[in-house]
Amino acid sequence: MNFLSYPRPLADLITALSRLPGIGPKTAGRLAFYLLQEPEAAEALAQSIRAAKEEIRQCSLCCNFTDSDPCALCQSDQRDHSLLCVVEQPRDVAALEKTGEYKGLYHVLHGTLSPMEGIGPDQLRIKELLGRLEGVKEVVMAVNPTVEGETTALYLSRLLKPMGILVTRIAHGLPVGGDLEYADEVTIARALEGRRQL
Amino acid sequence: MSVYQADAIVIRSREYGESDRLLTLFSREQGKLQAIAKGVRKPKSRQRAGAQLFTYADYLLHKGHTLDTVNEASPRESFPHLWNDFERSLAATGMAELLDVATLPGQPHPELFTLTLTGFFLLEHYSPFLIQGAYALRLLHILGYHPRLENCAECGAKVEGSRIFFSPAAGGIVCSHCRGAYSGRWVAAGSLAFMRQLLYRDMDKLDRLRWNSSLRDEVLAATEFYCEQKFERRLRSWQMRNLGCGRESDYGSESDKQH
Repeated sequence: MNFLSYPRPLADLITALSRLPGIGPKTAGRLAFYLLQEPEAAEALAQSIRAAKEEIRQCSLCCNFTDSDPCALCQSDQRDHSLLCVVEQPRDVAALEKTGEYKGLYHVLHGTLSPMEGIGPDQLRIKELLGRLEGVKEVVMAVNPTVEGETTALYLSRLLKPMGILVTRIAHGLPVGGDLEYADEVTIARALEGRRQL
Repeated sequence: MSVYQADAIVIRSREYGESDRLLTLFSREQGKLQAIAKGVRKPKSRQRAGAQLFTYADYLLHKGHTLDTVNEASPRESFPHLWNDFERSLAATGMAELLDVATLPGQPHPELFTLTLTGFFLLEHYSPFLIQGAYALRLLHILGYHPRLENCAECGAKVEGSRIFFSPAAGGIVCSHCRGAYSGRWVAAGSLAFMRQLLYRDMDKLDRLRWNSSLRDEVLAATEFYCEQKFERRLRSWQMRNLGCGRESDYGSESDKQH
């Protein structure tokens, strides 16, 4: 989109907003004009972005985003420190915490192995994971059920099993409210593998 | 034609936007093409299975201005063995990346499609890196980049010696007289003989071949070198094969029974 007709600061704002995920040039333009018309909202947004940028960092233990190091979850006495759940992204921690079912600690990899994209073990937080296994009895792989996620889980289990740690994988199967008719063969096969006695 | 069908394999699948995936498909009729599979990262999506890497499916696609969209995907084969085994997944990734690098969109190669499908099926029982090497050499053959492995690529003379000069620029092995200014690398005669077997032996008889780790490393390195020089692109997944190479001994015919 041609922003040349706009004053330079406004054109720069639209360009910056359009770099955000899921925001195209048209939406960026709409947001920019809204921010100009609502100076208080603009000021609050600018302060929040600055505060997040300055105060949020990665926890030295779990590599999740935090404002205190170690993060509240890693410091908590209420959590089971012998149980570690490996996830791909910080937002996966929030998804698991929402269930209220898991009482252990987390470790965020910040991605998955993707040889085709050139992402190997060095680009992930695997070294940090291997450095915090003292006292850990079980590692739960909660990576996404994609080829890359599975490859990462297999790679990690190969590293962890020789250390005598129990490596488990969260169950795969049909989503709640899903339809068996539309499920693929891998999902149905996994769902059958993971069947439970009623 | 705004809607069309494609019998295709997913050779690349990348996250795109909030919940979409950008797929690179290799189809029997149209060759390589790109399409967006919308909403497939949501758990209730019906097209989710058709958007996974290595899936072979029937696609109904809608032609768009810049990118086509997946309207329907009916998976024919999901290759579960490529999900459950690290080395097999790595080998399939190497094959898919090479196919992506070596082909241009919109150019049909039915023979290459069949070769890829056969390779993915054979990965279930055969040594993964053996299939990867054989696949790469056969892909080169189909696309007209067949490396000369018998005689000098320049003069046709018989080339002898325990180590032979192998040059992608010359198109294969070269004798000492023709070597001149060609760039290349020295490869053991035994490795070249093994590459000939990978190229000419029936695909379903490849499991009779035996190799050790040093032979495997040299054959794969020479093949990777040749492909990278020919297609002028780095093969990133091939450079990561060492992550899994430690377990190649597990894939001999005897231990195959375990998998």
